[in-house]
Amino acid sequence: MATSVSTAPDTKAGQGTAMEISVSKFDLLKELTATQGVVERKTTIPILSNFLFEAADGLLTITATDLDLSLRTSCQAKVKKEGACTIPARKLYDYVKLLPDGEISIKQMENHWVQIRSGRSNTKMVGMARANFPAVPGFPDSLGLKLPASVLKNLIAKTIFAISNEESRYTLNGALMVLKAESITMVATDGHRLAHIENTAQKFTGISGEMRTLIPRKAMAELSALLNTSDVENIDFAKDDAQLYFRIGPRVLTSRQLTGQFPNYEAVLPRDTNKSVSLRSEDLNGAILRVSQFADERSGAIRVKLEKGELRVSSSSTDSGESEDSIEIGYDGDPVTIGFNSHYLLDFLKVVNTGNVRLEFKDAQSAGQMRPEDSDDGTKYRYIVMPMRI
Amino acid sequence: MSLPSGKTYFHVDMDAFFVSVEELFDPGLKGKAVVVGGQRDERGVVSAASYEARKFGVHSAMPLRTAAKLCPQAIFVNGHPDRYRECSKRIYEVLCRFSPLVEMASIDEAYLDMTGTERLYGPPLRAAHELHQTMKRETQMNCSIGIAGSRVVAKITSDQAKPNGVLWVVPGTEAAFLAPLDIRKMPGVGKVTEKKLHDLGIRTIGELAQQQDKYLHEQLGEWGLSLAAKARGEDAGGWYDTEIGEEDGPRSISHEHTFNQDIAEQGELEGMLLRLCEMVGRRLREHGLHARTLHLKLRYSDFRTITRAHSLPQPTQLDNEIYREVRALFRANWRSGHAVRLLGVGTANFDEPGGQIGLLDASTPHRWEKALNAADRLRDKFGDGSVRLGSGMRRVIREKTHEALPDAQGKKPFTTKDTKEHKGES
Repeated sequence: MATSVSTAPDTKAGQGTAMEISVSKFDLLKELTATQGVVERKTTIPILSNFLFEAADGLLTITATDLDLSLRTSCQAKVKKEGACTIPARKLYDYVKLLPDGEISIKQMENHWVQIRSGRSNTKMVGMARANFPAVPGFPDSLGLKLPASVLKNLIAKTIFAISNEESRYTLNGALMVLKAESITMVATDGHRLAHIENTAQKFTGISGEMRTLIPRKAMAELSALLNTSDVENIDFAKDDAQLYFRIGPRVLTSRQLTGQFPNYEAVLPRDTNKSVSLRSEDLNGAILRVSQFADERSGAIRVKLEKGELRVSSSSTDSGESEDSIEIGYDGDPVTIGFNSHYLLDFLKVVNTGNVRLEFKDAQSAGQMRPEDSDDGTKYRYIVMPMRI
Repeated sequence: MSLPSGKTYFHVDMDAFFVSVEELFDPGLKGKAVVVGGQRDERGVVSAASYEARKFGVHSAMPLRTAAKLCPQAIFVNGHPDRYRECSKRIYEVLCRFSPLVEMASIDEAYLDMTGTERLYGPPLRAAHELHQTMKRETQMNCSIGIAGSRVVAKITSDQAKPNGVLWVVPGTEAAFLAPLDIRKMPGVGKVTEKKLHDLGIRTIGELAQQQDKYLHEQLGEWGLSLAAKARGEDAGGWYDTEIGEEDGPRSISHEHTFNQDIAEQGELEGMLLRLCEMVGRRLREHGLHARTLHLKLRYSDFRTITRAHSLPQPTQLDNEIYREVRALFRANWRSGHAVRLLGVGTANFDEPGGQIGLLDASTPHRWEKALNAADRLRDKFGDGSVRLGSGMRRVIREKTHEALPDAQGKKPFTTKDTKEHKGES
């Protein structure tokens, strides 16, 4: 950086210049929005609620991290003076949203102050020393693997809700991605239900045997958000001993790996269900939604009863009353009544949307399976739910 | 001997409860030597034994294989906690028809405050007879009923009435009734206290009643005073400090420990946490409670204290589940390497047990439940240190706090199978 400046340089941070750039509100807001999810809100480490802004070569690079998860993104900018600074993330985002469309100039001042100007608006915010911002590893040059964006998006949507929120069960705090030469599989479970989706319409070169990766929940959520706002066909994926790397267009998401052994899920996939019925997912969803209004609030317990020609869903609670819905079905097997947590069933039906779903049961103590009937896109989706004793 | 006059209490205790329940499901077991708790060649202990099996020396908490040796002809059946809970509920419903003040002391025994029910049910003996018959008619099970002017005497009395009997200690005759009984017959006297009392030359309740309060206090502390009061037939100590219906169970259960020397080593701290979780878990099981919220309390050397809580999706009463959560709280909040003065583990927000069956560990919680219940019975019998989880071995603590000591013993009336079944055979 050759440009000299008149203000005293921040020698501690080892940077030669005070950054000065101009960027369009549209471009900036797009990147700030994409980065928000990573910024830690409740952090006890103040620097983590800041963005790192770095300007060079006609690009503004924005980095956010919570130490476990980092996102680095960039947009075009007129770089008047190259440099780097940190800016309070939430405040900047909220402020930029309110600015009129047009160019925004961002100029670094003394003592970590940053000036934001746009049209007749003028604001100063105070950041922190750039040197305090944690180092964020870049995408490794070698060993990238291409993953189809739309497939990955679907796999995440179909599994992410089944990831455990219980931090004490840390190996369940992520989804397992299994890559083979001709398939990609995603599995998530919280110990009560399990979502499993496999896509066999893909080819992955450079994989021998299988490659298993445990992706933390927050990384799954960010990845999904990034895929939703991007139109890239493929993303790059790489990992090393400690980190996972995803490159979605110009954005790089880095996540610390979850250590530990994901449970042997294959062992719990039911193989001996003997009662099976197919029905429209909208019908089932509607029935459960209605009936669950009258389920015990904490447990969400409902009864699902299969009988000749009919599926009944019912609930009762001392607080709210009782409710029953029934759906006509082609069923001729033995009757069975099974208790389920209605939330678990609704989670699945929500991501299945339309079409028929097949329910497969054995008895009131054994895992039930739900899956969409028609899968023409090369995916096989199954959802395993354990009953409740009621 | 002074007694709170004018009160009438029943202690209703089901006879060989688990065995009786099993007989309901398999009438072929009736009149046979039956051992509940597992199969003859399994590891594990006896949960309950029929009176026929007891004749051969089989008693609860005895290893199943030992029971098989003593009584080879016995029929061994697995326990069914769900059935017992269900039957217990029915028992409770029957009892509630006789008094508005019913307190289940455990799954198969209850105290009823029958004071003032004479107009409804007649004198105590007639009311008890009516209750006894109703119980038999509606549950097909036998019970024994002790009637007295205090709960502690009622409990001792029901034990004397076993099996299938009704016994009334007429007010004024308590001393004569209690005096010849072995001190082990007194609620709250387990193996440990028994030995202490034997060392003092006290073998019967009458001998205990004759001791000076001051002397017992010197020898046994506060606990000694409540023992003496009980020996005189008064409700005192632990369970008996509150009236029936006065308390609807605890709102929270917790244990804490202050180290003699501050500790900064993670393994030792976690060992203590596990020990505290075991103590909390045991009390949850005694009270039949499942906790939804777990607390960690941590005090550093400089007295800076933090408490952290976590709520579970499924309430629990299992040591290992409590520990898993509490350890996660500890690891997330302890400043590594900083010396700790006090650790505490608490539970609150009690709820019905969650019905959700696990996918990855469908049978594990159930097995833990069985194992921990067996461990509880062993601790009842052989003392608190007799069984513990592996990591807890690192911190072996003696019960010494004011709170913990009466609790450890005062729990006797809660527990049940062990105390009772054991007494039944002696």
